Amino acid sequence: MSFGESDTAPRVLEFRNVVKRFDGVIAVDGISFSVDRGEIFTLLGPSGCGKTTTLRLVAGLEEPDDGEILIEGASVAAPREGIFLAAEKRRLGMVFQSYAIWPHLSVFENVAFPLRVRRESFDVVQQRVRQALETVGLAGLADRGATQLSGGQQQRVALARALVYEPAILLLDEPLSNLDAKLREQMRFEIRALQKKLSLTVLYVTHDQTEAMTLSDRIAMVNSGRFEQVGTPEEIYERPTTPFAGQFLGRTVVLEGTFRKSPKEQWVELSGGNRVPVDVASANSLTDGALVRLIARPEDVAILPPDKLESTQLEAAVEQVDYLGDRFEYYVRAAGALLILTAPKKDRYAVGAKVRLGFDPARLSIYSR
Amino acid sequence: MKVTETTTKYRAIRIRLRPIRVAEVSLIAFFAVVTGLPLMFLVVGSFNLAAPGQSAVYGLANWVRAFNDPTTVSALWMSFFLSVARLIPAIIIAVIFAWLIARTDMPGGNAIEFFCWMAYFIPDFPLTLAWILLLDPNYGLLNTLALQLPFVHAAPFNPYSFWGIVWVHTSSGGIWFKVILLTPVFRRLGAALEEAARVAGANTTTVLRRVTVPLLSPMILAVAVLSFIRGLQSFNTELLLGTPAGIYVYSTRIYDYIHREPASYGEATALGSVFIITLGALLFLYWRYLRSKRRFTVVTGQGYSTARVRLGRWRYIALAACVSYIAMMSLLPLIFLIIGSFMRRYGFFHINSPFTLAHWKDLFGDPIFFLALKNSLLIATITACAGIALYSVAAYVLVSRRAVMAPVLEGLCWLPHILPGILLGLGILWLFLATPLRFVFYGTIWGIALALMVSDSPVTTQAFRAGYLQLGADLEEAARVAGASWGYTYRRILLPLLAPIAGAVGLMNFGGALTSISTPVLLYSHESRPLAILMLEYSVTGELERGAALGLLITALICVMMLIGRRLGLQLSGQQ
Repeated sequence: MSFGESDTAPRVLEFRNVVKRFDGVIAVDGISFSVDRGEIFTLLGPSGCGKTTTLRLVAGLEEPDDGEILIEGASVAAPREGIFLAAEKRRLGMVFQSYAIWPHLSVFENVAFPLRVRRESFDVVQQRVRQALETVGLAGLADRGATQLSGGQQQRVALARALVYEPAILLLDEPLSNLDAKLREQMRFEIRALQKKLSLTVLYVTHDQTEAMTLSDRIAMVNSGRFEQVGTPEEIYERPTTPFAGQFLGRTVVLEGTFRKSPKEQWVELSGGNRVPVDVASANSLTDGALVRLIARPEDVAILPPDKLESTQLEAAVEQVDYLGDRFEYYVRAAGALLILTAPKKDRYAVGAKVRLGFDPARLSIYSR
Repeated sequence: MKVTETTTKYRAIRIRLRPIRVAEVSLIAFFAVVTGLPLMFLVVGSFNLAAPGQSAVYGLANWVRAFNDPTTVSALWMSFFLSVARLIPAIIIAVIFAWLIARTDMPGGNAIEFFCWMAYFIPDFPLTLAWILLLDPNYGLLNTLALQLPFVHAAPFNPYSFWGIVWVHTSSGGIWFKVILLTPVFRRLGAALEEAARVAGANTTTVLRRVTVPLLSPMILAVAVLSFIRGLQSFNTELLLGTPAGIYVYSTRIYDYIHREPASYGEATALGSVFIITLGALLFLYWRYLRSKRRFTVVTGQGYSTARVRLGRWRYIALAACVSYIAMMSLLPLIFLIIGSFMRRYGFFHINSPFTLAHWKDLFGDPIFFLALKNSLLIATITACAGIALYSVAAYVLVSRRAVMAPVLEGLCWLPHILPGILLGLGILWLFLATPLRFVFYGTIWGIALALMVSDSPVTTQAFRAGYLQLGADLEEAARVAGASWGYTYRRILLPLLAPIAGAVGLMNFGGALTSISTPVLLYSHESRPLAILMLEYSVTGELERGAALGLLITALICVMMLIGRRLGLQLSGQQ
């Protein structure tokens, strides 16, 4: 399966059917994709899905078992041809989840390390380190010991260290997961600004959908070592091609039923004789009588006061109400299924209240099960 | 596309010469030669009836002769009985010390713990000399004093006996080692576990009885088994105190076989083989036991307990008891060792001018002394430095996921654990005699340093391995991605970060090399004789006072080293 983009854009990174196993257990299962210059490409998925392994394959910290990896058009790993370029020769920048700031070196020396390895002159080191520290907003802290920094500052040092020698690709491995919520939001904004300013190519690994949604140009949904879907955040959110993609990115409500079609219309029959009409393209391939799963975003399901049911509406009962401050969360039972929906504070329904749920047939996804 | 071509060109080399694989294979080869071969020579050699170096004749005669000798069998039993007899009091005392230091409000706990570290490094040989000076039936000070009492008619103490050996061991490093091992265990027992019991309504004694001790019992047992095995390997005290009384353990028996004229290598190796097999089986069971008790690793629990048992008035009594135990078992003998080194004849206070500097003058006037001092310092330096270089790499290979033969390497690293000093010396002696290695190593300081380094392998490798695991892979990988080669990363990132561990094990191995007798005793020659062997020679040839002076000097060297280590910030107590 391939998710190549337009052929004219310069590809900084390319994976061709890359496979990685650990002791026979498959971690990366024949992945192919490419990342274009100046793009933030995010690998999003649950822990253990193979996204970090993919990143480490790019970095050269793991060797693939099959396939080929190319950086700027040159093959850096191709086991069939015996090619493997060591991590230190790949000209990459990487920010680790733990930041990996060397505790025995000062902030300056941490950032200067990649330049010292490359035997840059004294003046170049001075100038580039100052510049990198300024870029990440740590200009005054060059002489601090690395262990005297806060988590957010360590993160910036790690970022400066990764950027100081202008890497071909910046690899970010869950860089925000160890920060508190406020700081995370701020760093997210700064990373995005930095990427735009320096037109960096970024490969970003995260399990946090908000980060993925706000930072990415494109997202790859990773599951069990495979890419489920690759696309812009909007594409994936609005038109998930698999139930996994839909459920992992954002919240969903799920109804199970049987697909029915007649020459004029198509609908899903739910338990208790309820029916919901569907008019999405993906339904066309389904046959009459197929067992299906109907998925919607909670915000696309309206909670309405009891009244006469229209054809796109279901009858439901409120089972639990949670107050979340800015909104209410309702646990609603409809057609035998328990759905979790949110609603603004202006409407309020008590536990046990009868309500109607309004669906938008165009905003439903349907998958056979 | 250009890069692709160049990388393709070198692909064959890159695949074959992966540095980690090279390191792995060379380490395995090294250990196989210096540990595996000696062990094999020991076992195979026990069936070889010819003298070492001559063409082999195989047969069972060595085994038959060794085990028809009733003293051989009794030596094995004696090793076992002695180890058990010294274990029981030592464990009880060590548990009390550790509990008082870590779990009660006894004042001065940290100072006591530091002192335990110091006492651990007092070499056992001078300590044994000190007890001889105090307890000898003819001139021992305590016997002389006891005979002044009206109702005492015979010398009440005799160190040259089973209980004499046990007594001296109760004051030597072994007991302090147990305290050092157990204190952090007591300290780190997850506070929540005890607090949960307390909230559930249990009082102090119930918590201790129902929670603390059951939780710690696997660790206490583990320390006990380890001590028992180490006890079996003991040599110095048994040589000094057992031999005059005809009490032999297997290690002194082997020493005896080799020092006979002509040396009975065959019997020595037969006895050694039995012991290696027994010890190997014991260690295997110990290892199995530890593995099955993994679930008890609550000792690494998150919360440190700050709540300590209140002893009330008893806390001063407890402190007094600890201090007086230390004073009686470590300071008192050392003080009398100092006095002894200045006495014309030890124990004879009533003669004219009983005090003299003669022994110290003799010692410093002896040209052999300076040669031995030079040898010892060289041997210790080589041992410590080479050990750090070699075992830090070995540990790196062991923690690396890329090592394919890690179990083999690990087994070889642990092998010296079943080789007590005397057997390691014997095995390496055979290695030197049977291979061209003898031209470099036989009877030289290099040979002794190699043997000592091999004996350091399990502990040193383990220490570095723990260090690497604690560092995690990220710090190293960050350097690699930043463009540093492995060598550069090792020098600039890993080694500086592991410097505290390297310093600590380096000092320990340096001190160990300085004081070890059983390992070099079969390997030295007149040119390569180290200080510890010189001390042994003085002591067994009747120059006890000069031996005492030298023993004190070695002890002083060790103490200075420990203080330097503390000044350098090496971690000597868990509280820092």
